[in-house]
Amino acid sequence: IAQVTEDEIIEKGKQYTLAEIEVTGLKTFNKQTVITATGLRVGQKMSFPSDEISDIIKKLIGYDLFSNVDVYAATEGDNLYLTFDLQELPALSDFKIVGIKDRKKEDIITDTELKKGKKVTESFIVNTRNFLINKYKDDGYSNAKVTVTTRVDSTEANAVKMLINIDKGARLKIKSIDIVGNEKLSDKKLRKAMKNTKQKAIYRFWKKSKYIPENFEEDLSSLLDKYKENGYRDARILSDSVISNDDNTLSIAIKVQEGDKYYFGDIEFVGNNVYSDATLKKVLGLKKGDTYNGVLLKKRIQDNTDPDADDITNLYQNSGYLFSNISPVEVSAKNDTIDFEIRIIEGKPAYFSHITVVGNDRTNDHVIYRELRTKPGELYQKSNVVRSVREISQLGFFDPESVDPQIKNANAAAGTVDVEYHVVEKGSSQVQLQGGYGGGGFIGTLGLSFNNFSIRNIFNKKAYRPLPMGDGQSLALRLQASRFYQTYSFSFAEPWLGGTEPKQLSVSLNHTKQYASSYSSTGYYTGNVDKSRRFLITGVSIGIAKRLKAPDDYFYFSQALSLQHYNLKNYSTSLFTFPNGHSNSLAYTVGLSRKSSGPSPIFPKTGSDFSLSAKFTLPYSLFDGVDYKALREERDELEASGDDIDRIGEIDQKRFEWLEFYKIKFSGNWYTSLPAKFVLKTGSEFGFLGSYNSSRGLVPFERFFVGGDGMANYTLDGRENVQLRGYPNQSLSSSDGSVIYNKFSLELRYPITLKPQASIYALTFIEGGAAFDSFREFNPFQLKRSAGFGLRIFMPAFGLLGIDFGHGFDSIDGTNQPNGWETHFVIGQQF
Amino acid sequence: CSSYQKALKSEDVKVKYDLAESLYKEGKYPKANRLFEQILPKYAGKPQGERVVFMYADALYKDEDYYTAAYQFERFSTSYPNSQKSEEAAFYSAKSSYMLSPVFSIDQADTYSALNKLQGFINNYPQSEFLSEANEMVQKLTSKLEKKELEIAKNYSKTYYYKSSIKSIDNFLLDYPGSSYKEEALFVKLDASYKLAINSYEYLIKDRLLEAQEAYDDLLKYFPNTTFADQASKIQEDIKEELSKRS
Repeated sequence: IAQVTEDEIIEKGKQYTLAEIEVTGLKTFNKQTVITATGLRVGQKMSFPSDEISDIIKKLIGYDLFSNVDVYAATEGDNLYLTFDLQELPALSDFKIVGIKDRKKEDIITDTELKKGKKVTESFIVNTRNFLINKYKDDGYSNAKVTVTTRVDSTEANAVKMLINIDKGARLKIKSIDIVGNEKLSDKKLRKAMKNTKQKAIYRFWKKSKYIPENFEEDLSSLLDKYKENGYRDARILSDSVISNDDNTLSIAIKVQEGDKYYFGDIEFVGNNVYSDATLKKVLGLKKGDTYNGVLLKKRIQDNTDPDADDITNLYQNSGYLFSNISPVEVSAKNDTIDFEIRIIEGKPAYFSHITVVGNDRTNDHVIYRELRTKPGELYQKSNVVRSVREISQLGFFDPESVDPQIKNANAAAGTVDVEYHVVEKGSSQVQLQGGYGGGGFIGTLGLSFNNFSIRNIFNKKAYRPLPMGDGQSLALRLQASRFYQTYSFSFAEPWLGGTEPKQLSVSLNHTKQYASSYSSTGYYTGNVDKSRRFLITGVSIGIAKRLKAPDDYFYFSQALSLQHYNLKNYSTSLFTFPNGHSNSLAYTVGLSRKSSGPSPIFPKTGSDFSLSAKFTLPYSLFDGVDYKALREERDELEASGDDIDRIGEIDQKRFEWLEFYKIKFSGNWYTSLPAKFVLKTGSEFGFLGSYNSSRGLVPFERFFVGGDGMANYTLDGRENVQLRGYPNQSLSSSDGSVIYNKFSLELRYPITLKPQASIYALTFIEGGAAFDSFREFNPFQLKRSAGFGLRIFMPAFGLLGIDFGHGFDSIDGTNQPNGWETHFVIGQQF
Repeated sequence: CSSYQKALKSEDVKVKYDLAESLYKEGKYPKANRLFEQILPKYAGKPQGERVVFMYADALYKDEDYYTAAYQFERFSTSYPNSQKSEEAAFYSAKSSYMLSPVFSIDQADTYSALNKLQGFINNYPQSEFLSEANEMVQKLTSKLEKKELEIAKNYSKTYYYKSSIKSIDNFLLDYPGSSYKEEALFVKLDASYKLAINSYEYLIKDRLLEAQEAYDDLLKYFPNTTFADQASKIQEDIKEELSKRS
């Protein structure tokens, strides 16, 4: 397109002074703009001819504004005169699309980027035409015709009008697929093997029976694969034809030759040193006499559809043989039996060399590297790469869908390989500020949780961007207040105490002040607060959780010590019979859990989570010298006569001065991936609160409240709210709380989107649970059942938001009336 | 309504230009930038555009908006390659990128891009007055990358992955042969080699102690007066003692 005319008199490479720049051929552009674009200025020194001029021509052409750029030069002594002769591309002044409905035009305009003022190049015209033809072909309009014509618009300078004429033709449906020559496999089976080319049928209203040539080609090879899977390795397609019928339909005719059915003969392994023939045979799973199935053989050697499959390639890949090469070779075919040799080149085992992480804009290296299971100098194992991806995702600091391990620099001679993990940070801090009505008054909540905090940078001003982040610690503050209560809590956790081992330290503090509701003298609830009656709870707890190496490293062993002080002033309920007393609880919790769900903590697709924990207090009644039996007898008598309430209070104060109990809990959740992205969550829970000394009795604290959304609003008395949808909150326990419960649930989840900005999934569930006031009454099968559906939205800045509609099938009050529908809101609950 | 507000709303480009220039000269960069942003498109392709883009880029740099400054300076030096200021712009574009390079312990994409830009500047203007400053910045950035690698290697040792620590140090010594951290790296290798040895199965200990001894010899060979002398000789004594038990 571009050319430089070289005058005979111009000496090569001579330095000139640029005396004048002229621009010709302009229609719409300003001359000065073009000169600025060239970057040249009058008076500058330049050699001519030079690369500089060709670079300028390239640059001007590159703007897609000119169809041609010519440069003419003249010299006079040391002076150089340059003339740029430009041909501007015409601009689109108007366009018209004919042949389709108006509302369809919008899409075409966006897709083809048609707009007024666009420069019309030859390639733009051709691309537009091809795009449209392909678009209609893909939609089944096999005979679509598109013409694009341009005409000079005389009303504007250098402008053209465009006319796009679309003739879709008829959408051709496939009336029939006729297969001849098949005796061993039925028409039906073969048609089924063709995934994207189907006959017209009434039940096919979702996907039309379109004819798309590429799909058809693909389906013909699927058809042959079907034969290969069944032993007909010689099967071939003799002919295929597509016939247009008069009624806008197509008929497809396929002629096949089946050939004979073959069987596997001897299968021998050659070149294997690491694994024995027996091991390999077991993995291969094919034996002499089986129907010959080339597709399966390939799959057992390397399954391209599942990177984690139990095939021979992965067997080697998972033990360091990255460079192994396995190929099946037919060694002989006698009659209908084919002998195979599986040739294995094991190669050198590969070791990890450079392990790098990129994309961590906030999180410090050590927080990520310590979680990786691929370490420099260790044997390459594909499974370790997969596990590392899970561990990174579980941190919660990165978008789980975009963690990408890239295997690099695989060097077969040195036996080394590098892995570079690509991560994308996501928001991991949450601010919760909410107000609402509940419990007869306004409730305000301020919650801050920082999940990737850096406590060592708390006094480092530079680290505030806007907060010190990146050390993987979590810090949470929560304040909640209503007319009836105030609660303050603070917690901190460091996942790798000292940075040497996965040993989590967590500390939490909380304080709650609860006022009683006031009642009128006649005993009616007035809806007001009685500030003279209050209940204070102050607690502190410290815990250590350690990742174990055995039985496997998904196990955690945890221990925690907690101290809680309860202080009552003039506060008596049916549970608290010592209105001006106090109570202390010093408890030790020990737990064993296994957490292998993943990859994302928000929407786990595989794995399972289990936890078993036991919480104990000291058995004070063994050594404190108090005769609880006598106290109990006295209390029973007093209660029966009902006169000396103060003495009952005194006795209860003695019973609950230091709480004495044990509590055992179990929970398990399994996640199973189902076809079409569905995930099934199967869950089971159990909890039991017991006493060491039956005379001292069960404590009024630490009880289970089953039913409803299961959200822990405030830690009044160590109570635990257990979710059971389809029933009002806490309705399945007695008003004092249950001491034993169990629950089973099935939840089917479907991800609508798992983008980092928001993860949304829909769910439907059935569940059932039962709660009792004593172990004697316990009947794990007397379930309150429910079913329903709901939606969850997780946004990094807000945490989890959800709504569930549940229908309770059983009654809560002992009648035969089912409870019916309940709506539950879920806010910020941990998955 | 101040004259600044008037200028912001004014339709007259000249008014904006004059005020922006005087604000720029007074050092009121954020205010000047708001005006520059408005007039920049109006001067595109005009001779005054050169001055506007440079002032705008410089004001951004001084206002510590290095990300935009790097972009505007680069735009300047590619749009006006023959300008007297183009060398200065190329330098400040690279320097702005240098300022964006983060702490060593996170992703270093910005460090690599700053290194590329600085190297490009050094290649294009080998005679520049800014050359020594550019070289110094390259040094600092390279040193940051070295520190990153070294800290990762140290962390492997801290989490008891001694073999990985040794492998990482070996990679480090190959990748950065002239590093200023070489002395520390050799010491880390010695420390990790010794710890690996004494935490091994009995039949491996002797060989691994000998390897640790080699690591000690390496450190002393390159750095006879090493600052780690005290710790290193302590380890070496332990190596000797352990070896004597197994001879």
